[in-house]
Amino acid sequence: MFDQVDFSSLELPVSARKLQQEVREFLQAEIAAGAFTRHLGHTEFNAEFTRKVAARGWIGMTWPKRYGGRERSYLERFVATEEMLAVAAPCAAHWFGDRQTGPSLLRYGSEQQKQRFLPAIARGECYFALGMSEPNSGSDLASVKTRAERAPNGWRVTGQKVWTSWAHKAHAFFVLCRTAPDSGNRHEGLSQLIVELNAPGVTVRPIRFMNGQHHFNEVFLDNVFVPDDMVVGEIGQGWKQVTSELAFERSGPERYMTTFPLFTELMRRLGTAPDARALEMVGKLTARLWSLRRMSLAIAMTLDPGPDGDNGVARATVDLATEAALVKDMGTFYEREIIDAARLLSEVEPTPDATDTFERYLAETIVCSPVSTIRGGTTQVLRGLIARKLLGPLK
Amino acid sequence: MNALSDVRAMLIESATRLFADHVDAKLLDAAKRDGWSPTLWDIIEEAQLPLISIAEEAGGAGGSLSDLAAVLRIAGRFAAPIPLAETATAGWMLARCGLQIASGPLAFGPVHGETVTAHQHGTQWRLSGSMQRVPWARIAQRLVVLASGPEGAMVACVDPMQCKINAGRNLADEPRDDVVLDNVVVAGSLAAPAAADVSHAAIKLRGALVRSLLMAGALERALELSARYATERSQFGRKIGQFQAIQQELARFAGEVAAAVAAALSAAGALERREDPLLAVASAKIRTAQAAHEGALIAHQVHGAIGVTDEYALHHSTLRLWAWRDEFGNEAAWAAELGRAFAAAGADQLWPLLTKD
Repeated sequence: MFDQVDFSSLELPVSARKLQQEVREFLQAEIAAGAFTRHLGHTEFNAEFTRKVAARGWIGMTWPKRYGGRERSYLERFVATEEMLAVAAPCAAHWFGDRQTGPSLLRYGSEQQKQRFLPAIARGECYFALGMSEPNSGSDLASVKTRAERAPNGWRVTGQKVWTSWAHKAHAFFVLCRTAPDSGNRHEGLSQLIVELNAPGVTVRPIRFMNGQHHFNEVFLDNVFVPDDMVVGEIGQGWKQVTSELAFERSGPERYMTTFPLFTELMRRLGTAPDARALEMVGKLTARLWSLRRMSLAIAMTLDPGPDGDNGVARATVDLATEAALVKDMGTFYEREIIDAARLLSEVEPTPDATDTFERYLAETIVCSPVSTIRGGTTQVLRGLIARKLLGPLK
Repeated sequence: MNALSDVRAMLIESATRLFADHVDAKLLDAAKRDGWSPTLWDIIEEAQLPLISIAEEAGGAGGSLSDLAAVLRIAGRFAAPIPLAETATAGWMLARCGLQIASGPLAFGPVHGETVTAHQHGTQWRLSGSMQRVPWARIAQRLVVLASGPEGAMVACVDPMQCKINAGRNLADEPRDDVVLDNVVVAGSLAAPAAADVSHAAIKLRGALVRSLLMAGALERALELSARYATERSQFGRKIGQFQAIQQELARFAGEVAAAVAAALSAAGALERREDPLLAVASAKIRTAQAAHEGALIAHQVHGAIGVTDEYALHHSTLRLWAWRDEFGNEAAWAAELGRAFAAAGADQLWPLLTKD
């Protein structure tokens, strides 16, 4: 593992340190001004905050300047992201556009699509959702049934997408669908289309989370017209396009930091001289977080924005896809260790009515705790992938 | 960006080749009986690996602590039965205090904070005290001792022949010997005031770091053996690696190994940069010890009964993991120390401290 990485010399460069300080100060000022409410489990969709972050140049920050980006490094993006997570800043509005849609468009989008969407995402004005899962396609993404049929100057899309976070607030979503019947090779005949969520034939319905909150949706597509210029990349190449982006997106700080603000509040509750049992638990949580961050940093450092000729498309200088899967696997379990330490040390009976910040965070994280090991590749799927890499072909 | 430099990559390649060429089942079995392998020591000393990270002017082999870390990870991977980490640490103590580096394998102590006193007799010093479970004391050419002198801490280079040594061992049959010094005579030229950064705490920190690095390597070997065994062994008409239950365990194991490697090597870099290294070194010892716990048991489970025999190689790695995790502070002790420091700093310093380097 990590054979090509020199952990001993891995340090944040001065530019990233400077940015770390800038983002930290910005967030502290926002918090002091009461600019947003902080929630764990599901961060808020807050368009005003997103526009402020955009004004600072922290959305699409690795993208080429001509598309509204800042041409900064992936390491700087890493630093900005972890600062946001550390204080539970409400990033939902720009999250998918910044992390997934933007990079996909840079890699596969047409010039017209890039001009139209990227600057708007970077300005914090255009929000994207992701249309991947379906009622019968979860981990097995290649089994999607939503289909698009040829129409004059475009496609007609019919099907159903589920677990579409924030589809009720976003402007458009990427839809993975079948543009040719299954020929036996399930990875062929899939395509990615951009569907505007206010288009005729699109119906968005909430799927309420078990605590009654609304962020998931199911999206029904009934003969929705999608013009040819909204096809992403090539027709029939959808599978390749979707899977190529997964590797480096598995290992970001969002995989181990979504419960971190609870850790901070636990420390506040414990005070400066807790008992021996608390000290040991706190020390272990600290050590595990530090180790995860070192791994995640190493992966971020291997990503290059690429020369301008590549349109700012990220390239991995070293292939750490397996390591990225490991970080996601371990990180998602780490998030639960924080919850358990907080529970056991505080002896609080969790309630959704909690007003104290610690107790509220505790209740929010417990209810959302099953999610992280399911989304973005379940634990079991990831471990299968890691084992196959470890063992090679077995016959 | 953070890829290995060519020099480091060459060092790793040549050290790996050296250990791979010489460490085999026969050598490891003989070392279990004899307590170490003098043959391997001669080869490694000839290659100048034990004194890496000590400046050439001071009698060392040059290079950085990160270079030494890379070599220790490899030594751990091959279960090298020689006091490589101890010689490097003892050499560091001598060099920091302006003393000549002694040749041959070195040991250092005390490793449990005991007090050894030093009294001056003319130009000589006399040392008295006892030290528990000193790694490799009985095979060392010299014992480098941190003693308490009339004017503060000092470091002395002691001839072990003058000490009473009661042989002991750890789970992997590595020497862990009790040493009694009863007015042991040390020439004035072989003792000096301890540098400010050579203290009981600093020794424990270095000890924890080198054990973390050795554990990272031992974990890598245990994983290699387990993955290979899963592709060779068949049951129920299939390779056992084809069973999802085995795959899930191996994947978990791989995560533990990756975390151990990342933490141990990162800690070496942190200590080298002379930042406050408590977070890094404590985290490394905690994380590698946890990985040792999880990893060794998965390795044995995957191997089934063959893994617990003395004829199969796995025990060279797992016995060391079980020994090393408890040396220089176990994961609970380091966690308490780290927890104390972070609690004292206050909740609002948690994130700034975690992201300092």
